[in-house]
Amino acid sequence: MKFSLKWINEYVDIKEYLLEPQKLAKILTNTGLEVEEIDNAKEKFNKVVVGQVMERGAHPNADRLTLCQVSIGSGVVQQIVCGAKNHQVGNKVVVALPGAILPGNFEIKISKIRGIESLGMLCSEKELGFSQEGEGIVILDKEAPIGKSYAEYKGLDDIFFEIKVTPNRSDVNSHFGLAREIACLTGKEYGFPIKSFEEIGESTKNKIKLEVKDAKRCPRYTGRYIKNVKIGPSPDWLKARLESLGLNSINNVVDITNFVMLELGQPLHAFDADQIAGQKITVDSSKPNEVFISFDKSEIKLTGEELMIRDGERPVALAGVVGGLNTGVSEKTKNIFLESAYFVAAAVRKTSRKFGIETDSGYRFSRGVDPESVLLAQNRATEMIASLAGGEILGDIYDIYPERLEKKEVQVAIDFVAQQLAIEINPEKFIETIKKIGCKVSVQSDGMYRVKPPGYRHDLELEIDFVEEYARLLGFEHIPEKLPATQHSPTPHNNSYTNENSVHNMVQSQGYQQAINFAFVKAGFQKTILGDVRKLRDLGLPMSDEPVALKNPLNEDVNVMRTSLVPSLIKNLDFNYRHDVAEGRLYEIGFVFDGKEGSYGQESRLSFVAWGSHKGLWSAKEVPVVFEVKSVIESLLLGLRSKSWSWQNLESAKVPDFLHPGQSASLFYEGKTIGVVGTLHPKIREEMKLRCDVAVGEINLEKLMQGQPKIPKFSKLPKFAAVDRDLAFVMPIKLTVGEVTNEIRKVGGSLIKDIEVFDVFEGGDVPEGHKSVAFRYKVQDPETTLSDEVLLSLQKKVIDSISQKFSITVR
Amino acid sequence: MYQEKVKAIQNEAKESFLKAQSVKELYEFKVKYMGKSGLLSQLMKEMGDLPKEQKPLMGKWLNEAKTVLEALYSEQETILKTKELGSKLVSERLDLTLPGVFAFSGSAHPIKTLMDNIIEILERLGFSVRLGPMIESDRNNFEALNIPADHPARDMQDTFYIDNKYVLRTHTSPVQIRTMETEKPPIKIVAPGAVFRCDSDQTHLPNFHQIEGLLIDRKVSMADLKGTIAYFFREIFGSKTKIRLRPSFFPFTEPSAEFDCSCTKCGGNGCSLCKGTGWMEMGGCGLVHPEVFRQCGIKYPEWQGFAFGFGIERMAMIKYGIDDIRLFNENDLRFLRQF
Repeated sequence: MKFSLKWINEYVDIKEYLLEPQKLAKILTNTGLEVEEIDNAKEKFNKVVVGQVMERGAHPNADRLTLCQVSIGSGVVQQIVCGAKNHQVGNKVVVALPGAILPGNFEIKISKIRGIESLGMLCSEKELGFSQEGEGIVILDKEAPIGKSYAEYKGLDDIFFEIKVTPNRSDVNSHFGLAREIACLTGKEYGFPIKSFEEIGESTKNKIKLEVKDAKRCPRYTGRYIKNVKIGPSPDWLKARLESLGLNSINNVVDITNFVMLELGQPLHAFDADQIAGQKITVDSSKPNEVFISFDKSEIKLTGEELMIRDGERPVALAGVVGGLNTGVSEKTKNIFLESAYFVAAAVRKTSRKFGIETDSGYRFSRGVDPESVLLAQNRATEMIASLAGGEILGDIYDIYPERLEKKEVQVAIDFVAQQLAIEINPEKFIETIKKIGCKVSVQSDGMYRVKPPGYRHDLELEIDFVEEYARLLGFEHIPEKLPATQHSPTPHNNSYTNENSVHNMVQSQGYQQAINFAFVKAGFQKTILGDVRKLRDLGLPMSDEPVALKNPLNEDVNVMRTSLVPSLIKNLDFNYRHDVAEGRLYEIGFVFDGKEGSYGQESRLSFVAWGSHKGLWSAKEVPVVFEVKSVIESLLLGLRSKSWSWQNLESAKVPDFLHPGQSASLFYEGKTIGVVGTLHPKIREEMKLRCDVAVGEINLEKLMQGQPKIPKFSKLPKFAAVDRDLAFVMPIKLTVGEVTNEIRKVGGSLIKDIEVFDVFEGGDVPEGHKSVAFRYKVQDPETTLSDEVLLSLQKKVIDSISQKFSITVR
Repeated sequence: MYQEKVKAIQNEAKESFLKAQSVKELYEFKVKYMGKSGLLSQLMKEMGDLPKEQKPLMGKWLNEAKTVLEALYSEQETILKTKELGSKLVSERLDLTLPGVFAFSGSAHPIKTLMDNIIEILERLGFSVRLGPMIESDRNNFEALNIPADHPARDMQDTFYIDNKYVLRTHTSPVQIRTMETEKPPIKIVAPGAVFRCDSDQTHLPNFHQIEGLLIDRKVSMADLKGTIAYFFREIFGSKTKIRLRPSFFPFTEPSAEFDCSCTKCGGNGCSLCKGTGWMEMGGCGLVHPEVFRQCGIKYPEWQGFAFGFGIERMAMIKYGIDDIRLFNENDLRFLRQF
């Protein structure tokens, strides 16, 4: 909220701080009211005054400039060159005189513009720092007094604080409230000067019948009838004050209600009494399906739940939130009914949230106003209306307040406060401090007090609240620092955190850079990339047909939760490629989401994107990049000490839509399929204009991590040497290396340890439609040295069985 | 006569050995003169024809010749080997200004790096990691944290709603609730993770990261909280770092405070980074509110606690000197490779 220090000074003497506002800001910030901005408008508009254009001529040397004679008061007329065109002779304008320093540190100097001397500048809104743009200079009211300081004229001869008032401190949502707080913090006196007013003999109650049917949600309601008001513009000082605090001036009566709200924190509402049907006001629930039209002409369909102000026929105000169009104060209004009430915070908040109506009134009610200030505000507004709008004030007003709202007494033990703050507390000082904020304190027993907070402090309900209050007023700097002495025995980290960290390390060691993307994506993009999700489900990556959607997305680019990490990584690839990163390896570990209303789930995924090759390196050997993605997964599997896993080339029909139908394989791991790797579909590559090889992969990390971490099991080191054997087969291209490798392993049994492929080629003397594949396998017997006979017979067994099974020949 | 023959072979061999240019050539000469069917061996065979009394003499000559030649051979071999190694080393010269055979290593995202860094520091104090889901119930994200519906504190956080009862968690605090409901005190946990706010501008991402610490024990004071935060910041920003607490409001803590640390750039004197204040706002903290204990079924004030939390992105920007928050989400490799 924005505060005027000049105004605050009317209730508490803060003159000393007007010279050094930073000091006051520090006091407030250190006690919980964070001053976010200090706007020293007074300084900002030094040497800026109201002027009047007396002559407007052409600049002799420039067509686009005007040469003006401007009166700046006391008979002084200055020559000023101006680039704008919207000013006429007689206009009141804002003149920055030489020496003024405008926002943006723009200093005005006497200067020659195209050979003509100019003694100042006529200002635009932009130059005054009120808007980002602005053509043309500001034209002021006809009544603006020539020569007057612009700041003073606009109520800007002031210092403004923008304070972050936390929701618990509704008592400082007003100038008087902040003055009270400052008085308490600085040990000064504060007060609210009540001016008297005269009532005429008539009774409010004879004019309007008032009934509060819902006293639970409206514990206090005051109303007064004021007749023969003259609606018109507010005086300059009132206009200036509201405008300087960001409110628009509407008319004198409405401005007064707003003024009192800013002053006392109590929202008020003025009804046009002649528009109140049946001369009757009722505070009650709305009727279902009834339509209420607010003063800004929006139609609101009521549900029967909202607390309403009604007249004899219809709803006239959404209690505490917004008034109705039908009974609003207009230029024609003669008589008014002025409402000042206490509506229960939750009720107002519920209504305002339901319809999304945010008003200054709703804001204050929903944080809680002071029930004891309701009448004060009523009288303050009455007095102002009488003096500024000339109304006649009726007496015998309504003040329906059946049950006085009083704060509960709280029992506070000084030992508890001392323990929580780890300081020693002097009981007298404690009592003095608590009394200073308006609490009543009585001693219950030694070190035990009964404390009754003032009605405006809704945040003091529990013993612990006084711990905070005391600490806040004492200053947190007095609390010592120590490390907790604890009985706690440390526990291990969450298992998936530890597991994922080892995956991170292993994947990074293979050259992959970690990406972190948003958990939400654009629905359309995700759908386009993923295509038929059934194919992904079949690959061990569960996902529903429709992603979990956000009810209120920030924008349509981030409106559903991810079902796969692949779309985000493709986006990252695109971004990088556009930024000349021609080669990259990215991975992400993140959650994908699933579920329906009332039950949602998340599962972790490990996904990769790799593009471009490390070519250009003198040592690099080029293979399709999909093999790199495959190998990072394999090295991870080895690192995780996984035993049983294999890759299966996918039939075209089963390949996910974003992958190349002929270059994709699924990972079969401990009895189930848990993911897929492949080359990015050329169609996508083309659409994204990627001129490089791209591969992606996604693994169900949840399933991969089952049973992790696996504890290593030592096996004795072999005593006998291993022997390498090489074998090359000429085989049809269609026959996969995987099938042959599996067969070699099967035939070799426990004697064959590792099988590697060290050469694959086509062409040359290899018949067409065939390839030559060279295998190297390691033979080792832990019990004995291998004899030539054993080796030969094993080789023969392997060759015979492979040749027979696949009808292929040894090379 | 035989003696001359032996001598002649010996001389010839000697000459050859000295003449040999390579170990290989030398060896060939050795075979020629001293091998199984070499010249000396042939002479040895002829010895069979000699009269009995001459045989020992002949044997002596041959052995002498062999010994001499063996010595010469091994001498020559050493010389030649050294020479050959020398020229081999010259021919094997490599240009080591060629780039290394690079095993590319990747690295963690700076957010992850810092998060792990933070966890490691808190781990030393006995905090251990707990996690929770990102789609959270309204109850865990708000109600149980003393933020009932229709409470103005809900305005403090712009919430993404999934449906009427579920939200994208707006903070990591629901993990406190989950832990307090499943584990028995004393509790000492740290909850890292992604959180969401319906807010995006120069300094805010709608999806960012927080880390939060919670301690529940018999007697827990503001001093314990202050000491823990002070230790943490000294570890993360250096031993001269100071902290300060400012009163604030969070529904789930009482007393509540925001904590600042002394500016990492100017050390507290005031500079452009800290806008002249000497302090940098880091996060929020406080003692666990009695209502939160009640919601989780933990007896208060028999058990007391503190909690603190802060955003990782902001801290990373300060620690690594990053000037644009969007870099965290773009995953630009030119950025990621710097960490």
